[in-house]
Amino acid sequence: MQKKRMTHVIMRHPLLVRITHWVIALSLFVLAMSGMQIFNAHPALYASDASNFGSPILSISGETDAQGNPHGWVQIGRVRIPTTHVLGWGDNGQGSEGARAFPGWATIPSEQDLADGRRWHIFFAWIFVLCAAVYARFAVKLIPTKADFKALPHTLKEHLKPWKIPPTAELNPMQKLAYFGVVWFVSPLVIISGLALSPSVDAWAPWLPWILGGRQFARVWHFAAWIALTGFFVGHIAMVVLTGFINNMRSMITGRFAVKGAK
Amino acid sequence: MRRARFLALTGATALAGCSGIADKLGQTDLVRNALALPEHLNFAILGTGQPLAREYRERDISPVFRPNGFMPPSSPQYAQWAADGWRGYRLSVSGLVAKPASYSLAELRGRFNRVAQITRHDCVEGWSVIGKWTGVRLGDLLAVAQPTSAGRYVVFHCMDDDGSGTLYYESLTLRQAAHPQALLAYELNDKPVPVENGAPIRLKVPTQLGYKSAKYVQGIEVVAMLPGAGGYWEDQGYEWFAGI
Repeated sequence: MQKKRMTHVIMRHPLLVRITHWVIALSLFVLAMSGMQIFNAHPALYASDASNFGSPILSISGETDAQGNPHGWVQIGRVRIPTTHVLGWGDNGQGSEGARAFPGWATIPSEQDLADGRRWHIFFAWIFVLCAAVYARFAVKLIPTKADFKALPHTLKEHLKPWKIPPTAELNPMQKLAYFGVVWFVSPLVIISGLALSPSVDAWAPWLPWILGGRQFARVWHFAAWIALTGFFVGHIAMVVLTGFINNMRSMITGRFAVKGAK
Repeated sequence: MRRARFLALTGATALAGCSGIADKLGQTDLVRNALALPEHLNFAILGTGQPLAREYRERDISPVFRPNGFMPPSSPQYAQWAADGWRGYRLSVSGLVAKPASYSLAELRGRFNRVAQITRHDCVEGWSVIGKWTGVRLGDLLAVAQPTSAGRYVVFHCMDDDGSGTLYYESLTLRQAAHPQALLAYELNDKPVPVENGAPIRLKVPTQLGYKSAKYVQGIEVVAMLPGAGGYWEDQGYEWFAGI
């Protein structure tokens, strides 16, 4: 039978996926921004169980020098990266600048307010976990198959010109791997490392901080998972824009997605 | 380069917008009430049992037990007691109890079992330190006092103030107070509790965040209803449960 290259519309995402997608998107935004607020209360990470205050593996701080000039920096190990006016020294959320790890425009609330930041964070952590639980039944579809790995080199080549990637009914191997990583590894990591920060959870499940290398190390994992999620977000948005913005957005709002190929 | 700058600026502006919206929403009663909900859920799931916090080895003890909060208490009475080796200081147990009492440090050491724990202290700010706390079980003290059936909470009255005259206080449920690791500590790392860490008596509850472990405890009162939000930091918006 001859196949025609023509466009037709399929139902790509079931309603439950579309709803959880957008609620998770909102949650991750609030979690990231309130998480930066919480980090600001003690802007240092330690690769251990208790804090070895003299040797954080990462810290973000700032101060003014003898001439009164502000300096902000990110310090990783012994390397100090100047980040004045953005990280370490920047917007304090009250219309001026001061020593502050993440700037006011990036945090919830914008002013330094650990109590409220924690309330936002824990509220949306619950929303995120509940949505993730609903979403879990669709996650099986994301497990890569042998055929996916076989097709990977071809898809990689295609991704050099993302605007030429044809819309298909099935996820391409690159998409599958990216979603698989985020759903099966990064999301569980961000959840368990977050739980491990709670002294009450730790009393119920002492193995939880232990498998992560201790409570402070769990904070490192939590931070690393956030960086990974942010990286995924940037790539995700770029691909949504480059591979047919209207079609992609429609598929996540109404579920309808135009694909090329035989009916 | 120009495009990267434009994208970064767009991103920052979008974040600032979100932050601004959240600030406005955070001032409405609806959102404030919603944001207060998880604490009840967390307490129901985590706060009603009595699992034990992990206990560490001597060699895990942090070189310095980082002090935090208000220190030292500014009252002349506290200074005098501190200078005088705590002679005259008494820890009172009062409120809805059958047998109110008060104890000197010597009486606390003499009349109750001496217990020690090496536990991790998790500050709400995010850092942790490990220390060895020795003292008497809060539950032992309360067992002698015999809370009446109307008693539901234990309030800890402290001697430190925030500089504007407001004294520090904290509270636990009677069940939390009966946790085997809830300790009234008179020693930190085998020495009398230093002033910056809460001399002469510090409450230690290792399954909750650091601000629950009230320093400079002077009075223990069993009550039916919590005063205020149940603690100094709770009155500033922090969670009362503080297990997360």
